[in-house]
Amino acid sequence: MREATISTDVETRPPRQEMRQRLARWASAENLLAAILFVVLFYVPYLVAGYTVYILPQYMLFGVLAMTLCLLWGLGGMVSFGQGAFFAIGAYALGITLQRVETQASPWLGLLVALALGAAVAGVIGYFLFSADVRDAYFVLVTLAISTIVYVIANSQSDLTGGFNGMFIERVTFAVPGGVSLSMASDLAMYYTVFAFTLLAYLGFRLLQASSFGRVLVGIRENEDRTRALGYNTALYKTLAFAISGGVAALAGALYATDAGFVSPSLGGVLFSTSVVVWVAVGGRDYFVGGLIGAIAISMLSNKLNSLIPEFWQLLLGVLFVLVIVFFRRGLIGSLLLVPQYLRGRRG
Amino acid sequence: MERIISLGLEIGSATLILALVSMGLALIFGLVRVINMGHGAMLALGAYLAWTLTGNGVPFPLAVVLATVGVGLVGLVFEVLVIRHFYEHPFETLLISWGFYLVVTELIKIIWGSTLKNIRNPIPGTFSIGEAGIGRYEAVVCLVSLVLLLGTGFVLYRTSVGLKVRAMIQNREMALMLGVNAPRMYRSVFVAGAAMAGLAGALIAPMFSIEPDMGTLWLVRSFFAVIVGGLGAIVGGTLVGSALIGGGTVLFALVSKQVFAQTVVFALAVLALRFRPVGLLGRR
Amino acid sequence: MTTPSPGFDRRALMKAGLFGASAFALPPLLTACSPKSSDGNGGSSDGPIRVGVISPLSGAWTVYGKAHSAGFELAVQEINEAGGTLGREWELVIADSKTEPQIVTEQANRLVREEQVDFLAGTFSSAERNAAGPVATQADKLLLYPTFYEGQSQEFYPGVCNPNIFMFGPEPSEQVWPHMEYMVEKHGGKFFMIGSDYVWPRETNRLTKQKLEELGGSAVGEVYIPFNTPQYGSVISQIKRSGADVVFLSLTGSDTVNFRRQFAAAGMKDNFVVWTVDDEEAATSGIGPDATEGDYVSFDYFWSIDTPNNEKFRAKVKEQHPDVIMNTVGVAMYNAAHMTAMAIEEAGEVSTEGIRSALEGMTFDGAPQGSITMRAEDHQAVLPSYLVQAQPNWTGPDDMFKVVQSVDSVEPATAQCDNLPLSEA
Repeated sequence: MREATISTDVETRPPRQEMRQRLARWASAENLLAAILFVVLFYVPYLVAGYTVYILPQYMLFGVLAMTLCLLWGLGGMVSFGQGAFFAIGAYALGITLQRVETQASPWLGLLVALALGAAVAGVIGYFLFSADVRDAYFVLVTLAISTIVYVIANSQSDLTGGFNGMFIERVTFAVPGGVSLSMASDLAMYYTVFAFTLLAYLGFRLLQASSFGRVLVGIRENEDRTRALGYNTALYKTLAFAISGGVAALAGALYATDAGFVSPSLGGVLFSTSVVVWVAVGGRDYFVGGLIGAIAISMLSNKLNSLIPEFWQLLLGVLFVLVIVFFRRGLIGSLLLVPQYLRGRRG
Repeated sequence: MERIISLGLEIGSATLILALVSMGLALIFGLVRVINMGHGAMLALGAYLAWTLTGNGVPFPLAVVLATVGVGLVGLVFEVLVIRHFYEHPFETLLISWGFYLVVTELIKIIWGSTLKNIRNPIPGTFSIGEAGIGRYEAVVCLVSLVLLLGTGFVLYRTSVGLKVRAMIQNREMALMLGVNAPRMYRSVFVAGAAMAGLAGALIAPMFSIEPDMGTLWLVRSFFAVIVGGLGAIVGGTLVGSALIGGGTVLFALVSKQVFAQTVVFALAVLALRFRPVGLLGRR
Repeated sequence: MTTPSPGFDRRALMKAGLFGASAFALPPLLTACSPKSSDGNGGSSDGPIRVGVISPLSGAWTVYGKAHSAGFELAVQEINEAGGTLGREWELVIADSKTEPQIVTEQANRLVREEQVDFLAGTFSSAERNAAGPVATQADKLLLYPTFYEGQSQEFYPGVCNPNIFMFGPEPSEQVWPHMEYMVEKHGGKFFMIGSDYVWPRETNRLTKQKLEELGGSAVGEVYIPFNTPQYGSVISQIKRSGADVVFLSLTGSDTVNFRRQFAAAGMKDNFVVWTVDDEEAATSGIGPDATEGDYVSFDYFWSIDTPNNEKFRAKVKEQHPDVIMNTVGVAMYNAAHMTAMAIEEAGEVSTEGIRSALEGMTFDGAPQGSITMRAEDHQAVLPSYLVQAQPNWTGPDDMFKVVQSVDSVEPATAQCDNLPLSEA
């Protein structure tokens, strides 16, 4: 009898080569850059002390905020000028929870409230808009309005938020049943907690990117009508993406609140939200590590150059922003990551 | 009775001033489908140019005209150098125009400094109808706004140029096939939009604080006025949108605190957007 | 057919994993040291005295930023010319707050930890001061705060009621109360209050209403405007219908400019008197003479007040900072610097504890507005109070205001702090 042998590619290709290919994918320029970044961030407190250790957690949280925009914009093609609003919602959520609920578990509760609130607000607004196919410029404007509204509400509801004068939040202590607790009062504890959070967020986003959810989002970005025609409920996917980005942004905001110790309405305002767009645009919207580096690098430079040349630095940033959009569509990091590919192509 | 007149004057003034500020945006958005995020900077530039000119003895009306031309020129340069390469990519254009806003605002700070500036009220005094009144200059600005709206409407609906523009808005492929020169039209529209923004800035300068960020005040409001009014319905849409946003705020402020009035109006605008995405008078 | 050797590739994978893990774990084991702890070693006891100044050099309130930093710089120049303090010169490290409280937190930390300043001065708005409060407490450094503000209430600790913060600007009982009787008698007791929507206007209005009712007047309107509101038509109509005598203004930033210009253009000044507690010389310059003529302003200091100290002060400002419009905030910074210098001399050392004790109760006779005292109990400056009126067609700060009435020294209301005196808090 004849044996029906169907030789598939998978069987005939030597497993060694397959493993090597998989390894090559893992060791892509992007992952390498991310690995280097995280290793460097891990070792910063070993090399320097004082102010840098104090300030980097804030910038890492900005980086997480930038990554939420990468999810929306880089993957899903939706520009949001309102991520700052969710950051502020999370910050205030933690602050208000700590004020109203005074138990050992309050910090955890606060984080939970922040996450839930950010995701819920984003989800509701998202569904409301996407189910009516509001997109592109209209969506941008609504996110702009969200920032404005959050700012106005935070300012005027002083009983709740402390209003313009802001709200104070102490460095919390995270406790787990069993008596183990970690106080954020120490700069080092804060630093590594935020580091862990940032790393987890990065890995989470990358997994999301590689999953089918991520692929559908990219499909929506490329051509939403076609994706819908293929049977996907695009409104639902976009809403989910918006909700995830809102929730994570709020979580980052909550951690920021306890790190900086002080929250004021400008955190949710238009100025801050548009800064996030600049970070992601300059860093590179298609790569989560691009947004991360963009946020950290620009914030650090802004800080360093603070008193030196305030107006010229802003001008430079604006020009850089325009140049990046016009010439380096993939952002500076994005363009950097293309270099190895380019070199390889040249050689081959 | 006087309260009604007074209210009417308020609503009318809020509407017309917002319409004046939003016209340039509506024009560019209507034809080129681009949200010009740099609109606020063009507004500010118009105000600053008017300030410098009046400061050097130029009579106010002439200063307004020169400021309009000046901003139009800046818009032209920007269009030729950057924007015209990106009409096919609305997102990029949105971001680039935002970059324009950032750069121009910083340049204004560097050139003119950040101290508050002002222009003397060119037409002091008020028109009164009993207890109800309106500042004379404010009334004149409203009149100019009305004239601008009517003028634009005239050009769009009664001239061949306007016909071509409307054809492009309604059916681009057809218009191109019929020989409309798209790049030239886009350029003219963009420059006209910029010039209108400059005009608005120069005109409102005596009524408001002249500072580098003055355009941001109007940003979200004018965007919503244009969008709620309707994509493509440049004259009618702007008027209706401004009435709803501007007049709406006035009405709500009657019964609630200012902060609620403003928030509610934005929320309603978002609602309107959702239920009628093309705007009240627009068509896809 | 080659037999695959999964072992090799699995090993390769394991090697990669081990490398990754060791990248994170190995060096600490090798070096056997822990991450450096941020030890905040203070400044050295010789070398210059370093002061961190946080000013709004850019952002929404840049107009005030110039006087703010110039006032301090002028004082430091005088101090250094006289040989410094304890033989040490003063060195300024200026940071831009960008009018953003978040940036203030960042910069205050940078000044204290990286630049290792001996104390902080500045911040402008209450929100900025509140942002710097925790830093002042954590790092145990003093903050000298110059701006007119809403007074101290424990709920905003550590931005107020903080042993490390000294208030050199007036609060409502000093800025408003002394002139209420005059205004009510001269113009009437019906006040329409309009302010920006945040704590300073709200608190100021609350305290003003209190005093107003004592004098038999009443607040016929109280409106709070969110920031960046361009059009005031409806508010102006409301004022018209209210039958008010005095429009009591606590609007700030561009809102006060927009409101006052529209108010004037609507012809409202014919029937209403305006009293603002925010618009000093810089803001008034921005609004213009046509819209400000005849309006009342009250502060602890004005450029044009007639004291012997102020004549000399004005000459110095014109010489050193000719394009700065000096105002109450700049003068408060000036006073703060000089008083701190005196405190350091008295304490004999540059330490938070020493300066604090010396500053408490100190009197400074060299202030441009005359003699001022820093009240020990709550760290509030005891200041004079001036009510001025804007002149028609003024051309600049020299002829902008004319003093209508003045009080040499006003005892401020007691701070609503839980632990007074602050030094024992």
